[in-house]
Amino acid sequence: MKKRLAAFSEWADMRAPAVFILPAIMVILMLAIFPLIVSLYLSLSRFKFIKGGFSLKFIGLLNYKKLLVGSQQFHFLGVFGKLTVLEIGILILAAVLLIVWLVRYFRSGRLSIIGVLGRLILTTGVLALTWLILLTINQNGYPGTLVVTIFYVVFGVLIQFLIGLGLALLCAQRIPGRNFFRLVFFFPLMVTPVGIAYTFRMLVDTTIGPFTPIWEFFGWGAIPWVTIPWAARWVILLGDTWQWTPFMFIVLLAALENQPRDQVEAAIVDGASGWQIFRDITWPAIIPVCVTLILIRLIEAFKIIDLPNVLTNGGPGIASESLTLHSFMAWRTLDLGGSAAVAYMLLFISVFFAMSFVNFASHRLKDA
Amino acid sequence: MNCFKHLWGRPITVVIIMSLLFLSPLLAGPAHAGKYDGVTINIMTFTGPQIAEPLQRRAPEFKKLTGATVNVITVPFSDLYTKLLTDWATGTNSIDAAVFAPQWMADYVGPGYLEDISTRIAKDKALELDDIGEFFREFSMKFGGKTYTITLDGDFQIAYYRSDLLKKAGMKPPRTWDDYLAIAKKFHGQDMNGDGKPDYGSCISKKRNAQAFWMITSVWGGFIQAKGTSEGAFFDLKTMKPLVNNEAFAAALDVYVESTKYGPPDEINLDVGDTRGLFTSGRCALSVDWGDIGTLAIDPKTSKVQDKVGAVILPGSKKVLDRATGKLIACNSSRCPHAVNGINHAPFAAFGGWSGGINAAAKQKVKDAAYDFFSYMSQPAQSNVDVTIGITGFNPYRISQFENLDVWIKAGMSRQAAEDYLVAIKASLNSPNMVLDLRIPQNQRYQQIVLDTAIARLLAGEITKAQCMQEIENGWEEITEELGRKEQLKAYRATLGR
Amino acid sequence: MSTKRSIYQILFEAKSIDDVAPVPKTLTYIILGFWTFVCLFPLYWLIVTSFKIPIQVHDGPMYFPGIDFKPSMHAWYYIFVDLGNDTLRPYFNTIIVSISSSIIAVVIGSMAGYALTRITYQPKLGSVLMFIGTLVLTVISVVWLGLAWPIALASGLALYVVMLTTVGRRFKKSLHNNDIAFFMISQRILPPVAVVIPIYVLFQRIGLLDTHAALIITYTAVNLPIVVWLMRDFFESIPMDLEESAALDGASRYRVFFTIILPLSKPGLAATFLLVLILCWNEYLIALFLSTANAQTLPLLVAAMNATRGPQWWYMAVVIIIMITPVIAITIVLQRFITRGLLIGAVKG
Repeated sequence: MKKRLAAFSEWADMRAPAVFILPAIMVILMLAIFPLIVSLYLSLSRFKFIKGGFSLKFIGLLNYKKLLVGSQQFHFLGVFGKLTVLEIGILILAAVLLIVWLVRYFRSGRLSIIGVLGRLILTTGVLALTWLILLTINQNGYPGTLVVTIFYVVFGVLIQFLIGLGLALLCAQRIPGRNFFRLVFFFPLMVTPVGIAYTFRMLVDTTIGPFTPIWEFFGWGAIPWVTIPWAARWVILLGDTWQWTPFMFIVLLAALENQPRDQVEAAIVDGASGWQIFRDITWPAIIPVCVTLILIRLIEAFKIIDLPNVLTNGGPGIASESLTLHSFMAWRTLDLGGSAAVAYMLLFISVFFAMSFVNFASHRLKDA
Repeated sequence: MNCFKHLWGRPITVVIIMSLLFLSPLLAGPAHAGKYDGVTINIMTFTGPQIAEPLQRRAPEFKKLTGATVNVITVPFSDLYTKLLTDWATGTNSIDAAVFAPQWMADYVGPGYLEDISTRIAKDKALELDDIGEFFREFSMKFGGKTYTITLDGDFQIAYYRSDLLKKAGMKPPRTWDDYLAIAKKFHGQDMNGDGKPDYGSCISKKRNAQAFWMITSVWGGFIQAKGTSEGAFFDLKTMKPLVNNEAFAAALDVYVESTKYGPPDEINLDVGDTRGLFTSGRCALSVDWGDIGTLAIDPKTSKVQDKVGAVILPGSKKVLDRATGKLIACNSSRCPHAVNGINHAPFAAFGGWSGGINAAAKQKVKDAAYDFFSYMSQPAQSNVDVTIGITGFNPYRISQFENLDVWIKAGMSRQAAEDYLVAIKASLNSPNMVLDLRIPQNQRYQQIVLDTAIARLLAGEITKAQCMQEIENGWEEITEELGRKEQLKAYRATLGR
Repeated sequence: MSTKRSIYQILFEAKSIDDVAPVPKTLTYIILGFWTFVCLFPLYWLIVTSFKIPIQVHDGPMYFPGIDFKPSMHAWYYIFVDLGNDTLRPYFNTIIVSISSSIIAVVIGSMAGYALTRITYQPKLGSVLMFIGTLVLTVISVVWLGLAWPIALASGLALYVVMLTTVGRRFKKSLHNNDIAFFMISQRILPPVAVVIPIYVLFQRIGLLDTHAALIITYTAVNLPIVVWLMRDFFESIPMDLEESAALDGASRYRVFFTIILPLSKPGLAATFLLVLILCWNEYLIALFLSTANAQTLPLLVAAMNATRGPQWWYMAVVIIIMITPVIAITIVLQRFITRGLLIGAVKG
């Protein structure tokens, strides 16, 4: 009996690598890969109700065609304006910079198939996006959900990261009461996103919200933010920042507190300024955390939906609608194919951003 | 052995006696053995208190009468449509019946999810079908000539005004949309609730992706439909071409856009909840809404305008669409047979009023019980009480509900307010020119996606009026092509009883 | 050390390394105080709103209960007495679902995270693709062909083993730990809208709709990537020597993991647990689809307060308040762990 048990435990030990990782892989495969494939199929088909159930008719790339060149183009990509001289200049500048970057890579002699392919995709992607953004945010154009989402992601992540870092730096000082701040700054993350969205709708209301007297004092009561596209987008970003800064803050604070204290103290004794300490000691120490943190947040940021959905329902017009909301609205009216197509476009864009960011960051890390 | 048997026997005796004791009430049965003892009906609707409250309140009464247990399952309002469809379309069928918007009927009837209750309703004396307004009886409950739902709530939009203000200014309630705009313009910027701050002429919910597309339909109805409900206000009856790119629609858009000038500055972000709040706190002179404001205005917890609210049938137009040319032409007796004083009114049954429908895949006994429950809810004895209670969200839809003012006065309305309110509802309900909401398959895509987005972009200044009409026309045509023009036309005509 | 300090020094220079000078300190408190206000004001507004009657909400802002308006308990009464069980049931569901799925996710995820830092995996790319292929076939046979799922699962497994032993040896290219990790995090990219219908159909076929199990399984899958990433970073920062000496003493990997590594990583576990718990606690869309009556969770109740009559701010405020209270309590309890928790966990990217 004992022998058998020993044999079993030896066998189990041999299999440990598989036992450790398989549960996670299995769960993810069942509930992530499978739906992924099904929704890919959905995006290529048309959903219809028939007697006693539903049918999926395969229609190829029609759903995508509609988004990129068809009747939903204004919604997804936006309305194109005419480029001004300045914007053409910016575009050319971007193109030149990217080509220089490519040429330098080709000259470096460290070529690999994946490397070349990746860089080509990156270059085309960046150029196309720059062109799209310039084309839609100028005078005669209107940005579609794609550009608006990129705005939310880039500015949202940047602002939240900076505020989070600033607060973390302040809280990392040895001052009384920092445990209190640590707790309080964590609160916003605990509120359910739907709840946050409704709370902010109350707060930013210009007739019943708590800041009404302030608007009226400045004479802004008659020009509400909801009718101005950029104002609406910034208000949504405000809510997003309120919700997600805590996440940045708490992780960065932990990273800061863990940096080698003796180095900092030695630097202080040597008379280094605060900025020097940050640049030379703190920043290099926390860079790896920042990369992970921004990556996770980047992925989540692309999924922004509750705030635009509740605050403005995507208005004025379609000015503040995000990609997920776009997909959600199509889904709600059971245009499942169209909805899945938008979701897949979102997937491509997020993967593009995440991959670019990871590659960019890992090169930086190697250089550092 | 014997003693073993004895020991073994004793507990079993105890068990038998015990279980007899427990079972006896069941065995004896209630004196009035229920028709549906042991039947459970799962009914889905949205999380109330409106609509769900009366269902939950009446469920125990119904159990006492018949023995059936009614389970009311609620989901958030915005997700009811998808939730029901997924349950029925995937064959889950955990929901036996539902209280939903009859507008969705097209998507439910086509694939055969809804039970045809024509024969049941024909045999049902207690329902007093003739007492239900003609529009609901003949159009709202039917699809392609067969009855699928029982109306529990009468939903159509009416116009509200502040009777105290209009009286003071010596003005008449609006009869045309021009009147409406004139009144709005007059009162816009005046203080109407005594807090010293300027208030608004007209509050209409224009928020995108909410309920604004019903508001614009309320405006265009009077311009486009003149020959009775069966004429329809959305598509051409022969070609299924949208009626949205013509002078009449343009005129309606003009009214809609101009009313924004006399509204709260953030009107394009107001949902009906917000406009109701503004109106009942006395900040608006006019509003367009369902029957809800009437009952909200009498509740001191929500209202500052008790007895200061009047209601009229939706304003109309003296000119209507000539469908052959797309031009706007003056009314005469042949063009507008239902016009009153030369004004064509077309009250809009937006949403259509919450109705009960039964899942065709449910068990026979459950279907019977579900039908009886909806019938019970709709019978005058229950319904005539429920429609006077604000919290139920039920609005009147039976003729007998107008005859007895006392129930309304008992509910807290002054005689004057009750008369004003009921006059508007009665006029709308009796109108043969009521606009039936769009009920063709995937109407949500036509209205909530294409129409709603185009109107929102127009109000936001992203596109011009002409572009807006073009965008709606193109969008609707695209969906029609996608789903099959012939099928859609057939469905559209079926909803209009043709 | 000079004994006299100039005014500038007194104001701007700290007396010791562990201290902060008065002026920077004041500035720090001003900024932190401002952000405290930013964090707390929305919550304060929720509390105030929960005591208002509708007319007080619609009639312009009022700030202090008892001073500029008369507080009313009507919303609290409605949520706890009128709704009664309809509030409590979702409450218990939320507690059961989020706590169980957080625990499962943390256990499975930290095992995987540990394995990814300590064990080198080199699965052949070909066999991975083959596995996904057979999985898809299995699922298709269940969902569309209506095969009973135990049979489908068994035959799928058999097919995979057969294929692995026959053609499996031919594959050359293999994956690495980093690929596996990136694969896991990439699972969070797709928006829930796109995956909720397939998941619904899946659970419908195996008869788990409207049960706690469906929600627990789905939440576990959705949050697993985050756990793996955070815990992987955490384990990397734990020195190897301990394990090596234990392994020399003949302890198995399981023993090392459960008796040495896990106790050492309590802080990381606590922090990750809290984060995952919050995510499950607040999730809306998946809960909406996988639950009907029995398993409904609290976020649905919040969303439900926006019905045909517009948002019922007062009720909504009550629901949000009762929703975050337990989370705040848990946070306070776990706080001493979190401080150190994410600290090590997040150090290496």
